[in-house]
Amino acid sequence: MDPVDVQGQSQSSSQSQGEVCSSLRERSISENSLVALLQGMQGHVTTVELRDEGWAQGRLQNVDAFMNLRMRDVLYRGHNMGHTSKLQDLFITGRNIRFVHIPDHMDVLQTIQTQLQRIHRVRTFNREGGGGGRREYCPKKK
Amino acid sequence: MADEVEQQPSTNTVEEPLDLIRLSLDERIYVKMRNDRELRGRLHAYDQHLNMILGDVEETVTTVEIDDETYEELYKSTKRNIPMLFVRGDGVVLVAPPLRVG
Repeated sequence: MDPVDVQGQSQSSSQSQGEVCSSLRERSISENSLVALLQGMQGHVTTVELRDEGWAQGRLQNVDAFMNLRMRDVLYRGHNMGHTSKLQDLFITGRNIRFVHIPDHMDVLQTIQTQLQRIHRVRTFNREGGGGGRREYCPKKK
Repeated sequence: MADEVEQQPSTNTVEEPLDLIRLSLDERIYVKMRNDRELRGRLHAYDQHLNMILGDVEETVTTVEIDDETYEELYKSTKRNIPMLFVRGDGVVLVAPPLRVG
C-alpha cells in the first residue's frame, strides 16, 4: 500500500464515499444547495473545469459544503501548461471551479435524494436514543 | 425536513427573481457567464447561488483577436457540447430564455 494513501485515510477530515460531514454548519449548507449533488458524486470519476481555464480529471474523493474538492489519481492541466500531469492527490478550492462534468450514467435526482437522506439520517441518529441525544432543531411547542 | 432543493413550497406566484428561473425549469435556457462564455442547455436544477445543472449543453467561448497590420477586431467563437454539466453559480451573469434569431 502506498504510504500516502494510508495517511490520507487516517485523517479525520477524509471521508469515504457516502459519509456526511460532521459539522452541523456544513450539513445545513449542503442540504440547502446543489453541493449535495457533488457530494453524492464522491467516488466517481469526473472532469472539473477551473476558473483559470485549467481542468482536472480524476476520482472525487471528498466534497465539502463550500465545494472544496479532493481528488485522487488525477490528470491535471493548468491554464498555462501545454501538457498534463498525473497527480495522486489534488485539492481544489471551491471558488476556482467553473464546471463539473456529470457522468452520463448518473441519475441526478436519485443522487441528490440519496445524499439528503444520508444527511437526514445523521441528524436523527441521536434522537433515536429516546430523546436524550442532542437536538439539532428546537422541538415544536405543543 | 430536508426537502429536495428543486421543490419549492407549492406556490405558483412569482415573488422574487429566483422564481422567474423556477418558471424555466426543464426548459431550454440561455446562460451568459463571465469570461465571454455562453451556455445553451436544458435547466434541470438550480439553487440560490445560481449553481445549475444543465443537460445537452452547448458552450460558446468568444475571443477577440486583433490583426497586427490592419488592427481589425476579429471575433472568433469556439463551441463544444457536454451532455450533463454542473455550473458553479459565481460564474453566472444572466439567465434568459433562448435567444430568437432575427
